[in-house]
Amino acid sequence: MKMTVSQKLIALVFFLGLMAGCSSTGDTMGQDDMEAGSDAGTTSGQQEQGGSTVFGGGDGSGVSSAEMTDEQRREAEARAERAQEQAMREITTFYFDFDTAEIKPEARDVLIAHARFLQANPGQNVRIEGHADERGTKEYNLALGERRANAVQRFLVVNGAARGQTETVSYGEEKPAVMGDSESAWAQNRRVELIFQ
Amino acid sequence: MSHDRGTGDTAQAPWKSPVMLSVFLHGLIVVVTLAGWSWARPDNPAPPPSISARLVTQAEPEPSPVVDVVDEPDREQERQQAREEERRRQQEAERRRQEQERAEEARRIRQQQEKERQKQAEAEREREQQRQREQQAAKQKAEAEAKEQARQKAEAEQRRQEAARKAAEAERRAEEQRRRQEAERKAREQEQARLEAERKRKERERQLRESQLEALADEALQQRQAEERRRKEAAAARARQAEMLTESQKYRALIRDRLMREWYPPPAATSAMSTTLQITLLPTGELASASIVSASGNTAFDNSALSAARSVGRYPVPDDPQIFDQYFRRFPIEFNPENR
Amino acid sequence: MKNRDNLWGRRLSVLIFVWISLLAVPAVGDELLIRITEGADSAIPISVVPFSESGQMPAEEKVSRIIQNDLQMSGEFDPLPPEQMLSLPSEGSDVFFRDWRLLGQRYVLVGQVSNAGGTLQAQYELYDVSQEKRLVGATASAPLSASRSLAHHISDRVYEAITGVPGAFSTRLAYVTLERLVSGPVYRLQVSDVDGKRARIRLESDEPILSPAWSPDGTKLAYVSFETGKPAIYVHELASGQRQRVADFSGLNSAPAWSDDGRSLLMTLSKDGNAEIYRMNLASGDLKRLTNHWSIDTEPTYDHTGQGFFFTSDRSGGPQIYHQASDDAAPRRITFGSRYNARPRTDSSGDYVYYVHQREGAFSIARTNLETGDETVLTRTESDESPSLSPNGRMLIYATKSGDGSVLTVISAEGGAAYSLPASRGEVRDPAWSPIVR
Repeated sequence: MKMTVSQKLIALVFFLGLMAGCSSTGDTMGQDDMEAGSDAGTTSGQQEQGGSTVFGGGDGSGVSSAEMTDEQRREAEARAERAQEQAMREITTFYFDFDTAEIKPEARDVLIAHARFLQANPGQNVRIEGHADERGTKEYNLALGERRANAVQRFLVVNGAARGQTETVSYGEEKPAVMGDSESAWAQNRRVELIFQ
Repeated sequence: MSHDRGTGDTAQAPWKSPVMLSVFLHGLIVVVTLAGWSWARPDNPAPPPSISARLVTQAEPEPSPVVDVVDEPDREQERQQAREEERRRQQEAERRRQEQERAEEARRIRQQQEKERQKQAEAEREREQQRQREQQAAKQKAEAEAKEQARQKAEAEQRRQEAARKAAEAERRAEEQRRRQEAERKAREQEQARLEAERKRKERERQLRESQLEALADEALQQRQAEERRRKEAAAARARQAEMLTESQKYRALIRDRLMREWYPPPAATSAMSTTLQITLLPTGELASASIVSASGNTAFDNSALSAARSVGRYPVPDDPQIFDQYFRRFPIEFNPENR
Repeated sequence: MKNRDNLWGRRLSVLIFVWISLLAVPAVGDELLIRITEGADSAIPISVVPFSESGQMPAEEKVSRIIQNDLQMSGEFDPLPPEQMLSLPSEGSDVFFRDWRLLGQRYVLVGQVSNAGGTLQAQYELYDVSQEKRLVGATASAPLSASRSLAHHISDRVYEAITGVPGAFSTRLAYVTLERLVSGPVYRLQVSDVDGKRARIRLESDEPILSPAWSPDGTKLAYVSFETGKPAIYVHELASGQRQRVADFSGLNSAPAWSDDGRSLLMTLSKDGNAEIYRMNLASGDLKRLTNHWSIDTEPTYDHTGQGFFFTSDRSGGPQIYHQASDDAAPRRITFGSRYNARPRTDSSGDYVYYVHQREGAFSIARTNLETGDETVLTRTESDESPSLSPNGRMLIYATKSGDGSVLTVISAEGGAAYSLPASRGEVRDPAWSPIVR
C-alpha cells in the first residue's frame, strides 16, 4: 500500500508520541497516549517538517487553487482513516499494571484497529504473547502472562476478529523486553505482544 | 467485848483494836492455863508394892492398914459342933495360935511395915502436902504473882483502857467534834459535791468514754505495736530467708544465663521435649557431676542438655556456705524450649 | 462489749494477714529448679580437624574441607578455621579436650583417609568436648573418584549424631541456568551436589526451562520446557536420559508436583479456560480437575499427609497461599500478612509452609506456622524466588537476584546463616532439592 510522504510523517509523529509516552510512568504515559492516539482527526495543530499543512482547511496557503470535489474529499478522508489505522496498527505492544490483566483505555482503539484488520483479512493470523515482569514467582507470572494474553484475545474477538485467527501463549517472566530491576524496566516487561503471521 | 465499834471510824488507839484485845485475852487464857497446870494434876500412880508377899490373897492398891478378916462362927450350929470343933478349935486354936503368932508377927511386921508405910505415907503425905502446900504456895504465889501481874496488867490494862477510854473519849469527843464539823462540812460539801458530782458525773462519763476510747486506742496501738513487732520479727526471719533466697535467686539467674548461652538445642526440638539434669557442684562452683534424672526420649536433645551443663567450667555460686549448701550443692536443671 | 468484738476481729485479721504473707513467700521446693527455656541463637562451634592422609589422594578438595563446608552451609554449625586449631589430632587418643574447650569448641571431628588400592578409606571419630564423650566412631569407603560422596556421607553422620535429624548432604540439587549469549539465550537444566559441585547438564535448550521437580525416589525430574514454542511438562529419567512429554494441552502446562508414590503429578493447566490445578495419573494419562474458580490457581504441592495440597490462588484479589485438604474439600486461605504470597513448599512434619512473600515492595522468603498462623520472614534479600526445602526440613534453598543475574542461596529453615553456592556461568534459578535416597 502506498503512503504519501505526509502520511508517513504523520505516522512518524504518532510513533514519536508513543515512544515519549512509553518512557515515562503509567499516568503520564497514559496521558501521552491519549495525546498521541486519540487525535487522529485533528492534526491540524501538529508540526512537521516542510512547513506545508497536511490536510485541507480554510487556512491553506500552499494548497493549489483548485478546490476538491466532495468525492475527492471523501476519498481523501477514507484514505486518511486507513492510514490512521495502519499507523495505529504499528503498535503491537500493550502494557499492563502490576499484577493485573486489565487493558488500558489508550490501548483500546489500537486493538480495535487490529481487530478490524483481522476481520477484514480472514487469512491473517495473530499470535498473542503474554509476559510479566520479573518480580514474584515464575509459575504465577506464567499464568498472569496468559491472563493478559487472553484478555487481549477476548477483546480482539469481541471487536471482530475470528477466534481461530488468534493464538495465545505466555512466557511469564522468562522473556523480558528490558533487562534491569528498575520500575521502568518492569513496566516495559508487563506486556502483551501481537505477532502477526 | 469492849471493842469500840465505830461506824467506819478508823482513828482508834491501836491497843483498843479488836484484834489486839482478842490476842490479849487469848494470851490470858494461855497463861491461866499454864498456871493452872499445877492445880489440875492428874492422880499419881500408886507406888509399886515393894514387900515380898506373905500376904497372900489381897493385893492392896492403896496404902491402907491391913485388917484381919475374922469370920465369926455360927453359934447355933457351932454349939453342936462345938465339941467337934473344940478339938478342931484346939487344933485350930493352935493353928490359930500359930497362925496368930504368925499373924501377929505378920501383923507386927505389917504394922511395922504399916507404920513404916504410914510413916512413909505420912511423910510422903506430909511431903506431898508440903509439896502441895508448896505448890499451892507456889501456885498461890504464882497465882498471886499472876494475879499481881494480872492485876498489874489489869491495872495497866485498865489504865490503858482508861487511857484508851479517855483517849477514845477524847477522840470521840474530838471525833464528835470533827464529825460535827465534818458533818457540817459535809453538809456543805455535799451540796457542793452534789453539784460537782453532777458535773463530775458528766465529766466522768465523758472521760470514761474518752478513756474507754483511749483505752481502746491504746489497746489498738499496743496491739498494732505488738503486731508490728511480730511482723518485724517475722519479716526479719523472712528477710533472712529472703536474703538467702534472693542470693540464691541471683545465682540461679546467673547460672541460667550462663547455660542459655551454652545450650544448643537441636533444631528438631519442640516445646514438648524436656530433660531434667541433677547437678552436683563443689563449693568452688566446679561441676562435680551432671546426670539425667528425667529424659526427653530424644537422644540428641538429652545430649545437648548434658553437653551444655558440662561445658560450664565454673558455675557462679555464692560464697556464703549456708546458702551454697542449701541451694547449690545439689540442684536440678530442666531444659525445655518454650517457643517451639 | 464492743471492745471485745473489735479485739477478736483484729486478732483474726492479723492472723489472716500473717498466713497470707507466709503463703506469698514461694515454697522453697519450687525455687530449686532452674529452667532453661531457650538456648544460644548462634551456630554450634565445631572443629573439623583436617584428616590425616596416607597414600595418593584424589585431586579433589579434601574430604575434611568438604565436610566443613557442608556443616557451614547448614547454617547450624560454625566450623573453626583449621589455622586456629591448637593441635591437629587424627584419632581420639590425641584429642586433649582442654585444648578444644579453650577454643570454645563443642564438638571435634578427627579422622584419617587412606588410599587402599584405588579405594578411599576413611576412619573418623566425633567427640563431644564438654562431655568428653565419643559420639561417632566409624569407617567408610568409596572409589577414589567418589571422594566427595564419601565426605558428604560423613557430614550426614556427624549432622545426625549431633542434631538427631538425618543429614541432607548426600542429596542433589536440580536447577536451571541461563547464559545470555550474543546469539541468544541458552537454558540448561542441571543436577549437582548439594554444594553445587559435580554439576551435570541434563537438558540444553534455546527456550525457557522451568520448575524442575524430583520424583520421590530421586530417579526422575519433571519440568516445564518451552522447546515446542509453548510450555509443556516433561518427565525425564536421569539415569537413562529418556524422557516423556506428559502434558501438552492448549494453554498452560506448568508447575508439576509429584505425589508421594511417584505415580501422579499435580499440574496447572488452562485448557478449560483459565489456570486450574489437575492431577494426572502418569500411567494412564487420566486427569482429575481439583480446583474450579475463575481466578489463577497454580503452583500446587502436596502436604505432609499426601492427601491434601497447598497452592497459589488470586481469588481474593492478589496471589495468596491456600490449602485444600482433599480432592473435593474447599480451599482454606493460609496467608494474610501481605498482598502477595506465592509458591508454597512444605516439609514432612507439616509444621510450616514456606513461600515467596512481598513486603513493602521487596520479595523475600517467609514461612507460616500452620498451627499458630504466625508468619516469619526468613530472608533479608529483596528479590527472592523459588524456595525449595531440603528433605530433612532443615535447610532452604532459593534463587536471589545478584547483579544482573541470580544465584542460589542456602539458609537454615529458621532463616539463619545464609550460604551462597558458588556461581556457575550465567544465572542460576529454580532450584529443586532432591529427596534423601539411601
